[in-house]
This record gives sequence, structure tokens and C-alpha cells, in this order.
Amino acid sequence: MPDFTLWDIFRNLLMAARWTVALSLVAFIGGSVVGLALLVLRLSGGPLVGRLVGAYVQLFQGTPLLMQLFLLYFGMAMLGVNTSAWIAACVALTLYASAYLTEIWRGCVAAIPRGQWEASASLALSFGQQFRHIILPQALRLAVAPTVGFLVQVVKGTALASVIGFVELTKAGGMIANVTYEPMLVYSCVALMYFALCFPISLYARVLERKLQ
Amino acid sequence: MRLSKRGLLFALGLAPALLAFGGAQAQDALSGILKAKTVRIGIPTDYPPYGFVGIDLQPMGLDVDVANLIGAKLGTKVELVPVVSANRIPYLQTQKIDLIVSTLGKNEERTKIIDFSHAYAPFYQGVFALKATSIKSFDDLAGKSVAVTRGAMEDEMLAKVAPPTAMIQRFEDQSATTAAFAAGQTQVIATSVSNIGALSRKSPNLGVDYKLLLRDSPCFVGIAKGEEALREKVNAIILAAKADGTLEALSQKWLKRGTGDLPL
Repeated sequence: MPDFTLWDIFRNLLMAARWTVALSLVAFIGGSVVGLALLVLRLSGGPLVGRLVGAYVQLFQGTPLLMQLFLLYFGMAMLGVNTSAWIAACVALTLYASAYLTEIWRGCVAAIPRGQWEASASLALSFGQQFRHIILPQALRLAVAPTVGFLVQVVKGTALASVIGFVELTKAGGMIANVTYEPMLVYSCVALMYFALCFPISLYARVLERKLQ
Repeated sequence: MRLSKRGLLFALGLAPALLAFGGAQAQDALSGILKAKTVRIGIPTDYPPYGFVGIDLQPMGLDVDVANLIGAKLGTKVELVPVVSANRIPYLQTQKIDLIVSTLGKNEERTKIIDFSHAYAPFYQGVFALKATSIKSFDDLAGKSVAVTRGAMEDEMLAKVAPPTAMIQRFEDQSATTAAFAAGQTQVIATSVSNIGALSRKSPNLGVDYKLLLRDSPCFVGIAKGEEALREKVNAIILAAKADGTLEALSQKWLKRGTGDLPL
């Protein structure tokens, strides 16, 4: 049996944490892009589009992320599409994040008084101009806190990717805990690293909020 | 509006196309492996000494050695895919891997859905608890909390022999099961002898005692149903390794005991 020093444990967890960061970034960026597209679609499209996007949001909010991962990883393989753990995790997290983000942002846009839309429309601005120049800057300020709150959730949510065999921080922690038989120590290190990832994000959100006020 | 309708039609059209693709993919597993020059083998990373990670997080252990042996004899590269008890069979069924070399025991339910090679290593499962805990028979498990890994052989065996009042707590992988017992979350653990051996070496103060033999169920290589060519090839490799003493040496190296009588 190999003997892990504290540094070995820490070093291995740090290496695995890179994947947690990578997964989080993909989920942030992919989720934001898809989420924003859905938001625009929802605002500009007719009632049918609105309902379709609503159904999409309900679908992903109403099912556990764990099941989404399983379906993408094993379900797609049943259909003959061989998805790697990395692709499945990226797609699942992107879809999941986009559903939540579009709903969060819709709320922020809805919080902007109707009069702002009407006033900008009366200035003969197109929908795109209204959204970009009048509504978005105001909604952005409202969106910072809930968006960051959700992003912190996403960082922690990447741990679920371990169920499809993806070796990220949580999975690596489990593997090391099992050779060292020191779960308390190993999982404490894991928790510490998640905290080190999430805390600066929350901190930055506070700074950003102050700046936007 | 028009865009979304088209999207919907696209999605509707895509589903049968995907299904058709799935059907067309069927190919003999052995020739697929030889063509790709890579065999993908599911191995445990949470089950010392069969499969666990070294200091560089690379997998090692008896199953890993057997997996590499099979790859070498097939003349292909080996892609080691970490699996756990609960997901190894889905991995095989969905062609994420070609073979399972992961402390896989053979039972009736499993033979219905996958095929097995000859056995390659022994595997003893037992019920363990602290010295102070008195357990003489399975009936003594009544009212006690028992940690076991979901989907592992022990889980199934335990469900058959334990009294209904035993509180069986299932964990997702061996590391969680072992950790739960070691932390005192459960009074009893059902696992392999070798896992407890490693635990006792690491924490001698815990005072774990062997209580009951659950089952002596050797490890087999799991192969997707109906892949006869691959199965025969793997069987030939195992028989050769048995004949030239490789399996015995591996068993001595990792389990500190001989293979005993391995069933075909």
C-alpha cells in the first residue's frame, strides 16, 4: 500500500481541482451564453416561444442534475451516441446552468418597470436597442447577487460529475480516502479547496455589486 | 415562431435517426478492439488491494495487473476506466468499456445480462465488526446497522441472509462504506477480507474483528452478452496465466495468499 504524505494528498487534490475549475468554467460560460439566448428568445418571441422556454426551464429545474448526467452519459450511449464523461458532464452542466440562469435573469428583467420599455419604445428604439441600452444595464445590477449565488452552486454541483466516472475534486478525494483510510483528513482538504474556489467568487460579487450601485 | 417549429421538427427527425445509428453500430467486440488497437477495461479505484490509487493517482492492484495482462496478450493498448460497483455493468452494456475486471462476482441475475470468463482471482467476503460487538450468526445482525456497498455482491448476499430488522445502510462506493464503518456510523460492515485487511493495517487501533463468512465468490471478467469471440480469447488468456503461475503470483503479491481452487 502506498503511503501518502499530507503533501501527496494535497498535491493530488490540487491536480484534480483543475478539473473542477474547468467544469465550472464550461458551465458558467456555456450556461451564460445559452441562458442569455433563451432570455432574448423569451422576451422577443411570441407566447409560444415563451412557453417553450418555460417548459425547458421547468424540465431542468424539476429533475435532479444527477439524473441529467446519467441520461446524457448512459442514455445517449443506448441510442448509439458515445459521449465521453467530459462531454456528458459539460453538456449536462451547461443545460442545467442555462435553465437556472435564464430564469434568474428573466426575473431581473421583469423587475425593471414596464415604463422603461414603453419610454424607450416611444424614442423609436428597436427591441435590440431597448434591451441593450435601457433594460440590460439596469437588470445587470439586479442580477449580480443571484447570478453569483447560483454560480457558487454550480461549482459545488460539479461534484456530481464524479458519478459518471469523471475524476474531479470529490472523486479524487474519495479515491485517496480509500487508500489512506483517513477520510476525515482527506475530505477536510476537499472541503477546504471548494471553499477556496467559492469564497473569492462571493467576495468578487460583493465588490461588483458595490461598483454597479 | 417559425424557428422554434423548425427546431421541433428537427428534434423529432433526430430521434429515429439516432436509434437507427445505434442499431448500425453493432459490431463484433473482439474485432472492434483489435481494429482500435485499444481495449477499454473497467477497473476499481476504490477497492484495495484489487484496485486503488498510488501516490501519483495512477491505479494499481490485482485487477489492474490482470487488466494489463489481458491487454498485453491481446496485443493492444489498455485504457483503464475507473468504475464502481453500481455503474460497472451499465458501462459494459452501453459500450463505454469492453471488459470488466473489477472484483466482479458471478450470480444468476448477472448471467442474464452479461457473460463471464473463467475466474481469475479469489474473493472472500465477510461480516466484520469491532471486537466488543457480539455476532455469532446472521440472526445477531438484528437491530444492528450494517454498512455495505450498493450493487456489490455483499449487498445481495446480505439481503438474503440478514434478518429483516438489520439496518442495512448502502453506500455508493467502497470508500464511503469503509469510511462510514471506520467513523463509527455503522456497527457492522460487510465487505471483502482484503479490504478489512488493509483497513486494519492502516488503523490498528480500531480493533476490527472477522465475524462471519458471507461468501467465497471469486472474481470473473465481465463481457458483454453474446460476444463469444472475445470471451473465448479472454478465457484462453486466463487459462494460460493460470497454467504458467502468473495468476498465483499476482494473488500472492496483492492478497498475500494463493488463488485456491478457481472455478472455470
